[in-house]
Amino acid sequence: MTEPAIHVSDVTKVFATPFRRRRIVALQHLNLEIAPGEIYGLLGPNGSGKSTTLKIILGLIEPTRGSVRIFGRDHSAVGVRRDIGFLPENAYFHKFLTGAETLRFHAKLSGLSGRETKSRIAELLATVGLARAGDARLSTYSKGMLQRIGLAQALIHHPKILVLDEPTAAIDPAGSRDIQNLIVSLKERGTTILLSSHLLTQVQEVCDRVGILHRGKLLREGHLEDLLAIENQTEFIVENATPDFLDGLEQQIASTNARVVRRKPQTSLEQFFLKVTETSDE
Amino acid sequence: MSSSLGRIAAIGRTTFTELARLRVFYVLVLFALVLIISSSFLARISLQQELQVTKDIALGAINFFLSMLAIVATAQLLPRDLEDRVIYSVLAKPVRRFEYMLGKFFGVLGLLVISLVAMSILCLAVIHLREEAAVRETMQQLSQSPSDELDHALVAVHQAGANRDLILALLLTLTKAAVLVSLTLCVSSFATSNIFTISAMAMVYLVGHLESIARDYWLHQRAAGWLARTFLAVVAFFFPDLQAFNLSDQIIAASSLSNLMLLKLLGLGAIYIVGYIVIAIAIFSQREL
Repeated sequence: MTEPAIHVSDVTKVFATPFRRRRIVALQHLNLEIAPGEIYGLLGPNGSGKSTTLKIILGLIEPTRGSVRIFGRDHSAVGVRRDIGFLPENAYFHKFLTGAETLRFHAKLSGLSGRETKSRIAELLATVGLARAGDARLSTYSKGMLQRIGLAQALIHHPKILVLDEPTAAIDPAGSRDIQNLIVSLKERGTTILLSSHLLTQVQEVCDRVGILHRGKLLREGHLEDLLAIENQTEFIVENATPDFLDGLEQQIASTNARVVRRKPQTSLEQFFLKVTETSDE
Repeated sequence: MSSSLGRIAAIGRTTFTELARLRVFYVLVLFALVLIISSSFLARISLQQELQVTKDIALGAINFFLSMLAIVATAQLLPRDLEDRVIYSVLAKPVRRFEYMLGKFFGVLGLLVISLVAMSILCLAVIHLREEAAVRETMQQLSQSPSDELDHALVAVHQAGANRDLILALLLTLTKAAVLVSLTLCVSSFATSNIFTISAMAMVYLVGHLESIARDYWLHQRAAGWLARTFLAVVAFFFPDLQAFNLSDQIIAASSLSNLMLLKLLGLGAIYIVGYIVIAIAIFSQREL
């Protein structure tokens, strides 16, 4: 049987406040299992424990109880992090370094050779659309550009697992779509992706499974089609049907005990925005 | 092992770049340089005294600004990395926390070495020029005197000028600054802001310069029992004896520092540095980020 990429077993995290007057329970008996090559979305409102979960998986903080294993190895082993790339939420990185210098620094930390570093930097700058901005200091980057360089540093050492904390926060829809496409292409190459996000539409579009955290508890978890299916409703999307045909169909439906909930399908606002801006670019 | 050194070097290099690209530190070094140059104009007494006062002011300026640089530069490293969330992307890589701390230490040390070299070159140049002027004036003044008297006066001028002890004083200034870097790292490993770290280090700096006087006074009292000695030992650990690394008095007195004394001082500095760094790593390793 294949080892799970990430296995979180009965993890509880309690933060003690200064002088231990109060204890904050950030996570309660969390269990997660993410298979290799899967895209898993961790959803939840602010303070639900998403970032704490990611930090525990990365070994940045230790769980109060429970265990975390990455491809079968304990998460606290430093070697485990060779398999993980991480993009923190709202990261600014070293503002005094250029984009290329930032990637070189992270490549060195990851143990890449000089020659590999050079080719990898060029490749990643192109991948995240920063080929022309590689020599500019990060202090001149927009939030979207910072997010892209953050994604590049997370990918510098070809990680098997990518952990993304709000990867498309502060990015315009087109940039967000690019990152979304990159996530899908990484999955096609076998990368396991764990992402936390507030943008539910995106999560819905890219994730295989999602988990919903609230006040440190995993309330629901599963495949999207299972979670989102409405048992007593059926959806057909029909193209180029004549109004007469649709009226007839509606009457036929009404003759049974069923009813039509919505006749005209709608696109999402994001899809509409992208279509309008892409048309304008052409 | 080599990859560990590579990671420490990478963090050290980035820390150095970070500090070198902050213009505020150039202002500090520039201010010290101005003080060193102006020291040659401040002293207008006798020839030998003039040289000694120039050395004293220049050494004092280097000492003070290098110490300030050590504290201020180190205090903002960890809070900045936490604020910018750089620390998460760094420690999510296969980087051990001791590598991160050592990288920070060596990065600041690199900056201090370069600052010290810049200030020392200027300091030695100023002293050399003053020494040459003093030699010329001495030869002019004693041109009619017996050669023995002239030789004696010239030896005195050279003794008061740039000599081995001046170089040793600069070396010990660097040692003191390195002690301050390691202690500042230690404080910032548990501090929640750089203001707390700088305030705590200002106190350490003050106490560290005064404690030798207090200790001498206390230990020379007959009442100094084991309790007082234990207390002094604890104080001596948490507040390093910074005055011990200050050789201005010897320099002014033109008295030579023995090799044994130099080794003792370097050893003391090394013990402080290693001790504080070990504590800093131990605290930082337990810190929840």
